[in-house]
Amino acid sequence: MTAEPPQGASGDGDVMTPLRRDVVRQLTVRGITARVSVRPGVGSYASKPPLLLCNGIGVSLEALQPLVDQLHPDRGLVRFDVPGIGGSALPPTPYPIAALSSWVTALMAKLGHRRFDVFGLSWGGGLAQQLAVQSPRKVHRVVLVATGTGCLMVPASPRVLGIMSTPRRHRDPEYAARVAPEIYGGSMRTDPERGAALLHAATRSGPKRGYYYQLAAMAGWTSLPFLGLLRQPTLVMGGDDDPIIPAVNPRMQAAMIPRARLHLYHGGHLGILTEADELAPVIDAFLDEPDTLRRPA
Amino acid sequence: MTATTEKPAVETPAQRASEEQPAQKKPAAKKSSPTTKAAARRTSRKGAAKASEKASGAASGAAERRMHRQDESQEQAETSASTALATPLDLLLADAGTGPLRRFVPGVSGIKFTAGLARHPGKVVRRTTGLAAELTRVGLGRSRLAPAEKDRRFTEEAWARNPLFKRTLQGYLALGAAARGLVDDAALEWGDDQRIRFIMDNLVEAAAPSNNPFLNPKVLKRTLDTGGGNLVEGGRRLVRDFATPPRVPSMVEADAFEVGKDIAVTPGAVVFRTDVFELIQYTPQTPKVREVPVLIVPPTINKYYVIDLAEQRSLVEHLVQSGQQVFCISWRNPDVRHADWGLDTYGQAILEAMSACEDISRQDRTAIFGICSGGMIASMVLAHLARTDQLDRVAAYSLAVTVLDQERAGVTSALLSHKSAAASTQASKEKGYLDGRTLAEIFAWLRPNDLIWNYWVNNYLMGHAPKAFDILYWNADPVRMSAAMHRDFMDLAIRNALVEPDAATILDTPVDLSRVTTDAYVVAGIADHLCKWESCYQTTQLLGGDTKFVLSTSGHIAAMVNPPGNPKASFQTSPSGGGQQGTDNPADAAEWLDRAVKVKGSWWDDWTGWLAERTGEERAKPRRLGNASHEPLADAPGTYVHDR
Repeated sequence: MTAEPPQGASGDGDVMTPLRRDVVRQLTVRGITARVSVRPGVGSYASKPPLLLCNGIGVSLEALQPLVDQLHPDRGLVRFDVPGIGGSALPPTPYPIAALSSWVTALMAKLGHRRFDVFGLSWGGGLAQQLAVQSPRKVHRVVLVATGTGCLMVPASPRVLGIMSTPRRHRDPEYAARVAPEIYGGSMRTDPERGAALLHAATRSGPKRGYYYQLAAMAGWTSLPFLGLLRQPTLVMGGDDDPIIPAVNPRMQAAMIPRARLHLYHGGHLGILTEADELAPVIDAFLDEPDTLRRPA
Repeated sequence: MTATTEKPAVETPAQRASEEQPAQKKPAAKKSSPTTKAAARRTSRKGAAKASEKASGAASGAAERRMHRQDESQEQAETSASTALATPLDLLLADAGTGPLRRFVPGVSGIKFTAGLARHPGKVVRRTTGLAAELTRVGLGRSRLAPAEKDRRFTEEAWARNPLFKRTLQGYLALGAAARGLVDDAALEWGDDQRIRFIMDNLVEAAAPSNNPFLNPKVLKRTLDTGGGNLVEGGRRLVRDFATPPRVPSMVEADAFEVGKDIAVTPGAVVFRTDVFELIQYTPQTPKVREVPVLIVPPTINKYYVIDLAEQRSLVEHLVQSGQQVFCISWRNPDVRHADWGLDTYGQAILEAMSACEDISRQDRTAIFGICSGGMIASMVLAHLARTDQLDRVAAYSLAVTVLDQERAGVTSALLSHKSAAASTQASKEKGYLDGRTLAEIFAWLRPNDLIWNYWVNNYLMGHAPKAFDILYWNADPVRMSAAMHRDFMDLAIRNALVEPDAATILDTPVDLSRVTTDAYVVAGIADHLCKWESCYQTTQLLGGDTKFVLSTSGHIAAMVNPPGNPKASFQTSPSGGGQQGTDNPADAAEWLDRAVKVKGSWWDDWTGWLAERTGEERAKPRRLGNASHEPLADAPGTYVHDR
């Protein structure tokens, strides 16, 4: 194959524009084919652990693009579609969160990353907490955004939970625009169309069943008992106007995780995407701190 | 589309001939000659169930056998892979909304079948006594029944040597032949005959003793060898396969290939992206390229990479290496939010892709290459351009395995009725899309021996992993079809609207294919059992330009994936008509075949030569991909191809 390198110049004076470094690919891990987007780290980040981004419920990896665009351009990133969502195959049976967590570490191993940082948004925050406690040696630093502790948490209002119980908002743009202010809060209250666009235009839809599997995985799961066991430095972020995750939840998480710090921002559930320009630097700064504690050998 | 339950097929050749003299300017022959039809019916009655075996006429039958003899030694995988393919429209239409089960309901055809048998009691009695006599001979061990030489199911020695297995097999063959014979006896009309034959074939093939773990010596041996491990492994595979749609045996392991790693690897970049498609520009691999770019319009009902499989098996790579500037559309896999994407959406998309190609290559012309359903839409877009006086934007038109004239386009149209068509568009309308996985199921049941029972034995009874074969991987990577597109396609098929001038519309202009006076290169596969080559041939009668028809060996996909260097490959062609339509393309396909010249090698080479004459002068290759207004967004194969 005479493939030219995707960036820089090739032999005879061709100026090939540097392409976006995100490469979307299909990887089959333990018999389940998943769509993964990988951006290798370059420069000083080439040797640092990459950041694995765990997405909210029912949306595909494209939805994280606003955040990805704001993070340090050299940082290595891995995004993936949870099995049954977007471009990933539906698993044959429902799965518990622990199984998904172990599958994700296998996925990262297949990509050649023995250690990585984890970012979890909302539902993905649950997965990130599970990863941190299940693979303490692999997970280096943890960022939890707008997420709770599972079924033992201060819940959202029943109306919000009702809206969250189906994937309709990802499939029906008018409905999404209607419910966005109510469930996402923050800047969605003034600009609901944007929420619809964020979820609707960006995501690649999978089967409905995938969404229900995700709901089922979280049913009965809670991180409350083991938050004290987390060894990783953790950044807990949350919005002060988040109908889905009331702000008391991130406060509680930050209090219970030994090496946590809290960053509350003004905004809603999807603040990390709508105000990424302000919040991404906070994440970058946290991930780039020098490690003070000796790592477990 | 005459093959419906409401409008039975035309009765007699004479009557048909009188009906088929429409007041049209051109000699639009819509059917192969009556004699060939009769011959075809006769040959199919011999129980040659394999579509690839079905001689389509006395003349072509001989030619086909001649070509097949040359093809026979092709690998088994190649054979079965050539049967796994893109979907013909009628099929989509017939049951995709409702799933494969419908097909097994005989309905009115069943009543006609019973009535047909009742009308010919003598035949039925003869058939039954014949069967009884044969079964007696089988029991006594004097029967000479043997499976067809090509039948891979019964190659095990035990079938021939072990008296018990031999009798089982012969009894099965006798019963199967009798059951199929009954369909002949009922003397049904074409549509009903096809429908009942389909059901009967399926029943007979499902009942084969080789599918039964207790009656298949190969499986019994393996069970002994592995202590039942094969059945445990097979059970595991069965559960895995049937847990998620499509509920058919998997033909390939999910991780056998990786798109972008070992298939779809020709280097290039996405230079343009809309909601509907990504446009991939391939990196030139020759110092000089032709001025006029080639734009490939792949099928909308499969992923595009059938034309970019592994290295040396990629049509795209072949084009790039022959010095063409190649652009390819990669359609987005639509979902429920895109239910209203119809013909116009896709037609508009092709126009946008053309504009982008023209802009990037700084040309005012493009050479278009349409494949299967993509070819259908592209043809309509060309008609639109002709109508709006922009046809000079198309330098050359190539069309592969595309049926524009749906008249009797094979078994699938026989299974299509207005009622089932309406029901299935309704179903897809409610869902918002047509699921490719349902199609895969329907598809598999169209060729159960190759696509179901073969894997049933291999995966579940033997406990083997299916062989890794790129075409099968591609085939197992289905896409959805938006509800509006489904409706539009169906409408075209039911009305056979592309044959009548101005019967169909796209982008608010009526479609008259005879206005498309661009030079065209039309390819079909002789063993293509879904887009029958005779139906593809009718395109030469519809287009208004100088059309060169090329008939390749093998079936729907293997005809497409036909890399040079295969000593078995050949194609048939006749000199094209020197700009006057019809000069060398007679109305009758069989007549064309009689005159055609056989050429050794792959049509790929012939086609690149034909293209080179029509894609302008050579110039230095471009220094970069895309341009200022179309910056590269991602490396090939892009992102849409990964959407499941």
